[in-house]
Parts: sequence; C-alpha cells; structure tokens
Amino acid sequence: MTSVNETNANLQMREIFGLTLAELGAAHEDILVLDADLHTSTRITYFKDRFPNRFIQAGIAEQNLFGLAAGMALAGFTPFPCTFASFVARKSIDQFALSICFPALNVKVPGSYVGVPTSKAGASHNSFEDIAFMRTIPNLKVADPGDAADMRAVMKTAYETPGPVYFRVVRYALPDMFGDDHTFEWGKGRLIRKGTDVTLFGTGMMTDRCIKAAVLLEKEGISAEVIHLASIKPIDSEMIVESVSKTGCAVTAENASIIAGFGAAVAEVLVENFPVPLKRIGVRDQWIDSGEIEELFAFYEMQPEDIAAAAVQSIRMKEGRSK
Amino acid sequence: MNLPNEKIAQLEDFAYQIRRLSLEMITCGHWGHPGGSLSLAEILAVLYFHVLRVDPQNPAWEERDRLILSKAHSSPALYASLALKGFFPIEDLYRYCQIGGIEGHTDMRRTRGIESSGGSLGMGLSIAVGLAWGLRKKEYTKTRVYCIVGDGESTSGNIWEAAMSASHYHLDNLITIMDYNKVMAKGFVWDEMAIEPVRLKWEAFGWDVIEIDGHDIQEINAAFYKARWVMPRGKPILIIAHTVKGRGIEETEFNYKWHTQHPTPEEADQMLRELSARYGKPIEGYSRLHK
Repeated sequence: MTSVNETNANLQMREIFGLTLAELGAAHEDILVLDADLHTSTRITYFKDRFPNRFIQAGIAEQNLFGLAAGMALAGFTPFPCTFASFVARKSIDQFALSICFPALNVKVPGSYVGVPTSKAGASHNSFEDIAFMRTIPNLKVADPGDAADMRAVMKTAYETPGPVYFRVVRYALPDMFGDDHTFEWGKGRLIRKGTDVTLFGTGMMTDRCIKAAVLLEKEGISAEVIHLASIKPIDSEMIVESVSKTGCAVTAENASIIAGFGAAVAEVLVENFPVPLKRIGVRDQWIDSGEIEELFAFYEMQPEDIAAAAVQSIRMKEGRSK
Repeated sequence: MNLPNEKIAQLEDFAYQIRRLSLEMITCGHWGHPGGSLSLAEILAVLYFHVLRVDPQNPAWEERDRLILSKAHSSPALYASLALKGFFPIEDLYRYCQIGGIEGHTDMRRTRGIESSGGSLGMGLSIAVGLAWGLRKKEYTKTRVYCIVGDGESTSGNIWEAAMSASHYHLDNLITIMDYNKVMAKGFVWDEMAIEPVRLKWEAFGWDVIEIDGHDIQEINAAFYKARWVMPRGKPILIIAHTVKGRGIEETEFNYKWHTQHPTPEEADQMLRELSARYGKPIEGYSRLHK
C-alpha cells in the first residue's frame, strides 16, 4: 500500500483522501464509512480493507446513503457517506440538506470527482454546481483543499468540527504548497505569495494555477498576490478585504461553475465591503464535456494563461476607473 | 399480552386527547394536517403510553427506544403525545407554527422528545435504518427503533431504497408502522398511484409483515408485542395499520380536503364537540374560542 508520506506530487488527491480516511479511522473508532458502489474510485477501499466492520455498503442508492448517515450520526457515530460530488449535489441534496444539515448532524461528506478532471465521464459525472448548492445550506461548512497537506488538515479539522462538513476531493495530482506542519482553520485563508498589483484568489486545485499565473505575470512586470481560500464557507472576509485594499483588483479561480460558487462568494464579500474590479475563472454556464483532462481545462479557459489574462483585464478595469 | 379493560380505557382516553390537542394546535397555528394526525391517534397512544422505553426526565438516555415520524406532517399528533407524556408543558402546543415556538413539521433541535428532523416525504425510513444499524453496533440489545411511514409517501423511491437496505442489514431491531389511511393530499391513494399489493411488496423486499386495524388498541398492542417478542429474528418488521384518514369527525373522515386545512375557531368548536360526543366524553368545544 502507498504511504501518505511518499511524494505527494504523483498521488491524486483522491489517493491522499483515501489514505487519510484510513488513518483517521485507525485513530477514531466512531468513524463509519458508507459507500454507494464506488469504493475503488473514491479510494475508500483503504478504509474498507482495514475496517470492514465499520464499512457499510449502501448500493447505488444515494438518497438512502444520506439518510443512513443521518441515522448513524443520531446513534453517536461520525459517518462519512462517500460518493461522487455530482450525486451529492444533484441526486440526494434534499436528504443531505434536510436530514443532515437542518439538525446539524455530525456527518462528514466528501464530494469526489469534482469539476473538470473526472476521466472522460462527461456531464453526468462532472460536478460544477456543488459549491453553489452547498454554500446556501445553513449549518454546513464547505472546503476545497489545495494540496496533500491541505487535504489531510481539512479532514482532520472536519472530524474535529461538530456538525456537517462538505469537502471536495479532486481526481488530480497537485504539487505541494504546504509542509507537513500545515494546519487548516475554518474561515482562514493562506497568503501564498505577496504582490501589489492584483490579488489572485484560488480555491482547491486552482490555487496551484494561480501560482503559475503569478509567475507568468511577473515576467510581464506585474506583481500578483496569491491567496488560497480552502475554507469557502465560512470565508475569510478579512483577508480578502485586506488584500484588495492594497492591490485594488482581483481574480478568482475555481474548479467549478462561476455561477453562485467560490468566485461569487468572494464577489459578495467585495461588493458589500470594498468594491473593486473582479474577473472570475471557472466553468461558464456549461455542461462539462468528455475529453482529455488538460484539453478540457484549455477548452473551458481555466489554464494559468487564462488566469493571467483575467488579471491583466482586472488591472485595466482598475486603471480605467481611476482615470 | 391482552391488555386489561382499564388499560384499554386509559389508552383510548390518550388517543382522544391526542385528537383534541392536534385539532386545537392546527386551529391555533392556522396551519397543519388534521387528516394524517387524526389517523395516528391510537397508534401513538399505545406507543407513548405502553410500548416505548423513553423517559421525559432524561430524553437523551442513550438506550431509549426511538420513534422516527417519517410522515412528519402528522407532527401535531406527535407533539400532543410528547406533551401528554411530559416532555414539555401542554401550553407549549399552542405556540405551533409561531416563530420560536413549535415547528410545522419536525425539528429535533427545537422540541424535546423529537428524534429526527423532517417534512420532505420518503426520507424518514432511511434515518430509522441508519439509527437501527448504529444502535445494534452499540449493542443496545433492548433498544428498538420505530418508524411511522405513510401510505402516500410509499410512492417515493427513497422508501424502497430504505426498505431494501433494512432487510439487507438484517435489522430486526427496526419496527415500521404504515399508517394506511387510504388518502393522500389530493385524493385516494389508489387514484393517485397504485401502491397495492402493499403487503406482497414489503414481503418481497425481505420484511415480515403484520396487518391490523390501526384504531383497535388491543390489536395495535398485540402487533407491537408480537413484533418485539414473538417474530423470528433477522428481519425488519412492518405493521400495516389500516386506518381512517381524519378519524373521529365525520367531515374529515376519508376526506382529502382535510389533508392540509385548518378549521376556523368556530369549525373547530363544532368538531371538538362532535369528537367529545363520539368518545362519550363531557361535551367540550374549542378551548381558545373566545381568547
């Protein structure tokens, strides 16, 4: 079995998630893991193999999956019902919202296969709406971790946080941003790179692309600040406002629809507190197609080059306004 | 296991009070579902005053029995039962559907004794299955999970996902009661959707089924006794309780118009007078008529 401590860059985030879940399971006997016939895809197989008595197969019945998790939480356990994000968001959102989030039950929900990179499955399996849906549910906390250490930290904090949590698990490998001592706190962003001309706000896997965009911008003589906001709800309003009060304009980047998602969350903070020009990078009111993953990112204009171009536009809007 | 006459009289009185209080709440709150509350009165009376191992002084007792009301729109009957049992003062019932008072469906964080939050139909049985699985895992061998589902909500796919999983997990600590009151929100069940043959469907899903008159205290008690002590182990149990929607008042019986409808204070006064006459009680109208 692969160890968590091996080079993370070669491991997809789902792998880190699966291994971390098994480690959490070893430390906490109250953790139950529920599956909807996807355990080798979501990588909860690691947990299943080590703790078969705390692994529950629910079949391809996602509505029941979330009801079962609610009941198990009522019995005092900490269930992790695991399936693809598109099924959490579209197939069983009522069960998740009403049976779990309304009474604030202690259920931790990973949404797997988020956004663009989901093999070639196409529209049915690519979740672009989950951030938007989850963000509107009271009592629910939402996170999208940006690297392996962040995933481990988010999962540890999710376990320690009473009440429901939704976190995103991408089927994609990401380079390390943080060290092993990294911690995660709800409502706290991370300053990744200091800059003065524009702020790039990233969440999940897109923060890495923001860093790459900042390198591209530097070559053009533009100083971009990069902030990672793994905690989408609650969001770090203070850090957002503090950064744009210095840079005066911003770009957001998310592996999801820009409608009502992460970019919209940042926009809400800006509009109500410190309005500045903002461009959003993400899926634009489209169903996600089947295709090679990197080609899809190019097709949906979610590459570092696209973020850099959006930054230049945002800066122009700022400059145009100040004339 | 046959109940003595005085016990039956006592439980019938509780059923009468559950009906009264349900109607008063719905009238007072200007909202609610009389039909499905009235059909449940005897079942809840037997559960709360004879069967359930619950303690109003210690509502969080871990090994208590749980009741999940999947058809949560019948909440007035449940709230009335809980108040009569002593979970909270009767007076609180009159704050039904008021901000900060009692929630229209069920909110377990708001009201003592409520075991789950619900209202969207078809979802409660899944919660009950998860709870039964969890309590068995905790080895609370005396604890039972009771779940009340409606006939109308059995047209929901979620019910059948839950039913399939309960027998797959061999949950013999789960006892489900179907309030088969024959009427949905907009008409008779058989006109809205063909749910028959109900018994064969549940048996095919791996459940043991008992069929009773859901207004006969003796039969209800016998079914719970059988489900708890007599039936073979290893399977979940369904009690199909044949009931009358809106039972107790002629105008509301089998009348879908009283699925969701609140009486005016004057109508409630008439209804409660009729109810008390029918149960041989001193004639009593709507307590808040002139308040």
